[in-house]
Amino acid sequence: MRSRKGPFLWLVEKEWRELLSSRAWWVLLAVSGPLVGVSFISAVRTYAELSGYGGGTEGVGEAFSPLVGVWAPTFSACELAAAFLLPFVAIRVVAGDRQSGAMKLELQQPLSVLWRIGAKALVLGAAWLVASAPAAIAILLWRSYGGAVYPPELGAVLLGHMLNAGLTIALASAAASVTDHPSTAAIVTLSVTVGTWIVNFIAAVQGGIWERAAGYTPTAIVAQFQHGLVRLDVVLISLALIALGLAIAAIGMHLGVPARTRAAESIVLGALTAAVVFACTFLTPSWDLSENRMNSFRRSDEAVLRQIRQPLRIVAHLAAEDPRRVDLEQKVFSKLRRVMPRVDVRYVAATSTGLFEQASAHYGEVWYRLGENGVPSMNRITTVESVLETIYGLAGVEPPVESGDIFRGHPLAVPPRRAAAVFYGIWPAVVVAGAVFIWRRQS
Amino acid sequence: MPEPMVVVDRLTKAYGRLTALAEVSLSIRAGEVLGLIGPNGAGKTTLFECLAGVLPYDAGEILLDGAPLTGEARTSRIFYMPDGIAPWPSQTLKWTLDYAAGFFGGSAAAIPGIVRRLDLGPLLGSRIGTLSKGQRKRALLAVGMLTPHPLLLCDEPFDGLDLRQTREVGAALREHAAAGRTLFLSIHQIPDAARVCDRFVLLSAGRVCAEGTLDELIHRARTLHPEHSAHPEHQLEDVFLALT
Repeated sequence: MRSRKGPFLWLVEKEWRELLSSRAWWVLLAVSGPLVGVSFISAVRTYAELSGYGGGTEGVGEAFSPLVGVWAPTFSACELAAAFLLPFVAIRVVAGDRQSGAMKLELQQPLSVLWRIGAKALVLGAAWLVASAPAAIAILLWRSYGGAVYPPELGAVLLGHMLNAGLTIALASAAASVTDHPSTAAIVTLSVTVGTWIVNFIAAVQGGIWERAAGYTPTAIVAQFQHGLVRLDVVLISLALIALGLAIAAIGMHLGVPARTRAAESIVLGALTAAVVFACTFLTPSWDLSENRMNSFRRSDEAVLRQIRQPLRIVAHLAAEDPRRVDLEQKVFSKLRRVMPRVDVRYVAATSTGLFEQASAHYGEVWYRLGENGVPSMNRITTVESVLETIYGLAGVEPPVESGDIFRGHPLAVPPRRAAAVFYGIWPAVVVAGAVFIWRRQS
Repeated sequence: MPEPMVVVDRLTKAYGRLTALAEVSLSIRAGEVLGLIGPNGAGKTTLFECLAGVLPYDAGEILLDGAPLTGEARTSRIFYMPDGIAPWPSQTLKWTLDYAAGFFGGSAAAIPGIVRRLDLGPLLGSRIGTLSKGQRKRALLAVGMLTPHPLLLCDEPFDGLDLRQTREVGAALREHAAAGRTLFLSIHQIPDAARVCDRFVLLSAGRVCAEGTLDELIHRARTLHPEHSAHPEHQLEDVFLALT
């Protein structure tokens, strides 16, 4: 009598059972509670104090966005777990079969290697969701305090963290599949993670192409989603990189194929993905899902800016590490790119800090030109209002009347009650009890 | 004489400068128990892994039922049970057998019989990783016997077994072959091979020295070495020494 369950489902069940018997996963689960807890408790306490808890003066505005005040710091714990704990779980699941010899047996089932790696990825994705349960508990606690939740921005944060976890799983799977030993795979995975930090660091100093590349590192991707910004190019590039990692892992599982052939297949796949990634960088659609529209200009400004069809060229004489440049880029130019179809920003600087260029007469100048033959206009001020005024002046349009769509925030002067007990006591206890229960049940 | 199920023709495999298999040729007939005999390092495992598609080979050809062996045919017709592995170490033997039958498309109904024949009943609740070498060997043999592939390659099926277990497992393998399965067993203990196998392939230093039934091998040894006179109890050992 043959089993009614297909080989893929058997494989998924096997991977799930292997995951449940993996100490790495239980450690991830046990640690994720206190990790999320310490971030959540600290964030809620600060939020409460800014809201007037403890007799302080109540703050106003953007500070009372739960996205910035609570979700970004709380979910940053998930980012840490994804960077430093999840790779070990993924490596255990992928490399375990090679180490034990199970791979030699399983590869004799005529199931495509893509299905095999798919089963592992599916289980690892589910593992990450379970490990993210403390973040879900944090949301429930926040609601129980009477805190506001704006689902679109929370969805953006969750999407960012799932993509980040997907990138980690894909990277660790590829490393585990192409290296001979799990410890080598761990070193490779962590080296790549540290490498992306180095790219971020170089980008902050050098700017230019490094800055562009740094926009797609996992840290930068998570940061964008944590600000409620969903960019099509970032989503597609993340998915392409996840697919590349899993495909390389699948190629590495092809035991009967010569190593040279596998290397060539991986290189071709890498080149194709690089082309896809490059093409994706030209995609501009994006969605600001934050409740306070922190990634967008006011709606009235956007309506006027969208009507300007001529290309806008900007030349900013500011060095990469100059805070004015960071302000301009994050608070003005990134928003401009989202509403104006053709914005070309070029930075001019002889050094990375700009410290010794201050004496130059042109340093600090920002030149704006609308259209190919438009008259350039210079403005040294880097605030949103001033930049928009310059652009409106160049376009010859009236600045819009100020609308009333100002985000008032959601102050909440409530301390993080019960959170310590939940994250530091109940969660670890539940994890330990779960581990013992599963261990006995599988015996 | 039945047509060969598998024909291996001048198979060559090298690890860098070391030639592990040098133009190895042999045939496997349907329904037989073929023994691959050779000392450690002779290339037995390499030959099995090349046949099973776990290792790529450099030259030569493998024919299955007269046609070149494709990946699809390999995964549906040949199953290889390596030596020295401990797959799914945290899973119980019971679940492992269910998994083997389900995943590889074998029959779950065959599990009780195989468990009884290999005396695995008391071990069903034990995790694979906690089994002794001999227990694990029997467990993996059970996995191999549960698979539906017509040809089973088994690397060192008696390694780690005591004398009694070796005889019992040998008898179980003979019964399994009698039920229609073709077995190709790699064995370095020649007396074990003599007890279980119908025919033998003698492999030494990556080369096939001889292939045939015991009588054929004795005849060949006597032809090559007229002074050869094997003791009845050590016939195959003496033949092996004479021909390699």
